[in-house]
Amino acid sequence: MSHKTSRRIFIKRSAVAAAGVFIMPAIIPSSALGMGGKRPPSDRIVIGAIGTGSQGMSNMRDFLDLKDAVQYVAVCDVDSLHLAEAKNTVDSANKNSDCRTYNDFREFLEKEKLDAVSIALPDHWHGIIYTEAINKKINVYGEKPICRTIKDGQIIVAAVKKNNIIWQTGSWQRSQAHFHRGAELAINGRVGKINYIEVGLPDGGRGIGTPPVMEVPAELNWEMWLGPAPKVPYRGVSHWDWRWILDYSGGQLTDWAGHHIDIANWGAGLEHTGPVEISGKGVYPSEGIYNVPVEYDFLCKYENGIEMRVANASRFKMGMGTTWYGDLGWIHTDRGNRLDASDPKILEEVIGENEIHLYKSENHWQNFVDSVRNGTQAIAPIEPAYRAISVALLGEIAMTTGQTIYWDPVSEEIKGNEMAGRLLSRPYRRPWSLPTV
Amino acid sequence: MRKQYILILLAAALIMLMPSCKKTTVYKALIITGQSGHNRETSSEAVKQILDETGMFSCVISGFTPDFSKYKLVVLDYGGDMWSEEVNADLMDYVNNGGGIVIFNSKSDPGAAIPDSVTVSERHSFEVWTAVTDHPVTKGLPLRWLHPDDEIVQGLKPAGEDVQVLAVAFSDTSFSGTGRMEPVLVARNYGKGRIFATLIGSPDEKENLALHCAGLIVTLQRGAEWAATGNVTQEVPFDFPTAAGAVLRPDFKRMTLEEAFKNIANYDIKKSTKYFTFIQDQLRKAAGDEKTLSDLEKKMVDVLKTREASDDAKKLLLRELSWMGSDYCIPAIKALSSDPDLQDDVEFALTRLQK
Repeated sequence: MSHKTSRRIFIKRSAVAAAGVFIMPAIIPSSALGMGGKRPPSDRIVIGAIGTGSQGMSNMRDFLDLKDAVQYVAVCDVDSLHLAEAKNTVDSANKNSDCRTYNDFREFLEKEKLDAVSIALPDHWHGIIYTEAINKKINVYGEKPICRTIKDGQIIVAAVKKNNIIWQTGSWQRSQAHFHRGAELAINGRVGKINYIEVGLPDGGRGIGTPPVMEVPAELNWEMWLGPAPKVPYRGVSHWDWRWILDYSGGQLTDWAGHHIDIANWGAGLEHTGPVEISGKGVYPSEGIYNVPVEYDFLCKYENGIEMRVANASRFKMGMGTTWYGDLGWIHTDRGNRLDASDPKILEEVIGENEIHLYKSENHWQNFVDSVRNGTQAIAPIEPAYRAISVALLGEIAMTTGQTIYWDPVSEEIKGNEMAGRLLSRPYRRPWSLPTV
Repeated sequence: MRKQYILILLAAALIMLMPSCKKTTVYKALIITGQSGHNRETSSEAVKQILDETGMFSCVISGFTPDFSKYKLVVLDYGGDMWSEEVNADLMDYVNNGGGIVIFNSKSDPGAAIPDSVTVSERHSFEVWTAVTDHPVTKGLPLRWLHPDDEIVQGLKPAGEDVQVLAVAFSDTSFSGTGRMEPVLVARNYGKGRIFATLIGSPDEKENLALHCAGLIVTLQRGAEWAATGNVTQEVPFDFPTAAGAVLRPDFKRMTLEEAFKNIANYDIKKSTKYFTFIQDQLRKAAGDEKTLSDLEKKMVDVLKTREASDDAKKLLLRELSWMGSDYCIPAIKALSSDPDLQDDVEFALTRLQK
C-alpha cells in the first residue's frame, strides 16, 4: 500500500521549514544547517509530542537517538512538570530554547504545522486525540493499546484510512529480529499448520487499595487529565496507577495486547481478522479502586479453526510471550531475545525466495521516520494494532459478562447479545465526544 | 508448654447451618486439638467456625477416646506429644476405609515428632502460588494470592504415593526463610480416603490475621469438603484474595446477597469496596441467566430509589446497569437525572442503554 498523499504533505511542509533557514539564519543552530555531515533540516521530520510522561519521553529519546532524523518543535502535556522536562530535552537537542509548549492538545493541533506527532497518553484519551490528530492529516506514532474500546478503535482505523496518513503503533517488538524471525517461521509453516496459540501477558501486581482524596498538585490539570472519563476526585493515580482502573485502562491485559497478541497475529496471519468466539474468566480484586482483572484467562476461536488462549503468564508453562503450536511442533518467542522451538533445527530453517517474507525493520522509530519520508507503510500499521487490542477487549467483555461472546470480525459486531454489545463503547463525559471521520 | 499428653476431642451437638434454599448434606466432623507451639484454643475455635460456616459440616467437641469411624471428617489441629501406636493405627484405618482427614497448620505428620529439619519463618505477608490447577481444591482459584502475617512452615517434604503439593510459597531469606519454595497446601489420596493439609493459619494472639485470611478460610473449607467427599461443590467466592492484596473476613463468614444490598446503600469507597465488588461478581456469575439478572436488577433499582442511599452507591450501580439493565431500570435512572451530582452518571447509563 502506498501513501502518496502523505509524501506530498511531507514535502510541502519541508519546504516551509527550509524557507526558515534563509530568513532567520542567525538563530538556526549549526545542526539545523546540515553541517558536519548531519542531515539538513529540509530532510528532517518536523515532529511534536502529546503526552510527555514516562512512555512519551522514552519515545522522544528513541527518536532523538536517531540523530537528526526528526526536529521536535512542540510538546503538549497536562502536567507542567512533564511539559518542562520535555521542553528541556527538546531544547538541549536543538541547542536553542524554541520548543513550544501546550497544555491543551486542541491548541497544539490547531497551531502546529507538523509532519508527525508522537502520542503517549492513558488509553481513555486515545479515541479523541488520535482521531483529531489524524483528521489534521498528521502522521502519527501512537502508543498501544490504540484504543480503550472497540468503538474508539473503529473510528481511529477509519480516520487513518480516510486521511491516508502514515501510522506507526508503538508495538516495537515487531522491529526486533527474534520476534520477526519467530513470526516468519510460524507463518511459513515451519511448525506445520498452526492450530493453537498461547499468549502469556504479565500477572497483575500488588494493588493500591483506595488512596485518600488529595489536593490536585499545582502542576496537574486533573479535569483535562480525566477528559472524557467519569469525574472522580483526585487520588494520585494520574501517572502510573491509572493502569489498574477500568475507566482508563484494562490493566496488564490491554497494556500488553499490543505486544504479544500483536506478534501472535503477525505469525499466524490473523492481523486483519478477529476471533469469532471468545470465552473466559477474570480474577478481580474485591477491595480498593484497583478494578482491572488481576488474573485473566480466555480462549478465542477463529473461523479457520485456530484457537488462541490469552492469559496471565503464571498460567502457562512457557510463561510470558507468544507460542505458536502447529501439527509439527512449536515456536516460542519473548523479550530478552528469546526464541525457542520444539526442535532447534526449526530455528535454522531458511525462508525461501517464494515464501512469505514479513516486513523487516531494525529500528521501530527509524522505520516510522523512513515511512513518513518515503510515503510508505510502516511496520506496525493501524489495522493490526486494532485487531490485536480487539482480542483483549473482547476478552474483557467475555469476562465482564461471564458469557461466551460471538464476534463477527467482518461486520465488527457482537452477535446475539445486546448486553455485551453495549460494552463495545464507553460513553464520553460532556463536553467530550468521539470525533467523526 | 505442658509435657503431658493431651488429646482433647471437641464434641458438640449437630448444628444445622444449611442455607434455606439449598439442600446440603451435613457431615459430622471431629476436631482434635491439643498442645503445641501455637494456641490451639484460638485456632480450633476458628477452624470450627470456618467449617461450620459452609453448612456442610457440624464440628464435634469431645473429651473421649476417639472413635474416628463415626465421623466423615477428622480435623487435626494438633502438634505436640506423639500419639500411641494404637491411635495412629486407628487413624490410618479410618482413612484407609474412606475417611477424610484435614491437617491444620502442622509441622509434622499427625501425632508424630517434628523433624529436626523443620523450621518456621518470621511472621510476614507472602504470596501463595497455586501449583496444581486441576485439583478439586484449587481449581478456579487465583494462581497468586497474598496471605497476611503468617509463618511459613519450612523443610517439610511431602512424599509418598499420590501426594500432591497444591500450593507453595517462596520463603524469603529476609524473613529467616530458606530462600526456597515451601509447601502450603498438600493433598493425598490414601486407600479409600483422602488427606488434606494446610500449613498456614498460625494464630498470633493479637489480630490473628492469618486465620481471618479469606484465602486460608476458603482453601480450608474446600480442602475439608474434598477430604470428606472427594469433590468440591463450593464456588470460588468473590473475595478470594489475589496478588493485588490480602482479604480478611473479620467474622470468618462469607457475604450474602442480602448483606451486600443492605450495605451498598451506605457505600463509602473510603471504607470498603467489597459490597459493590460482590454485586459485580454476582452479575458475572449470573452469566446471561435472565431471571437471576432481573432479580439483581430489581434490587439495584431499589437502591437507586432509596433517597438515603449514597451518591457513590448510585454511581456504581448506574455503571453496571448501563450494560446489564433492561427497560425496567429506565424510569428509576431517569428519575435521578435532575440530581446535579449524578447527571454525568445518568447520562452515561442512558447513552449506553440507548434510551
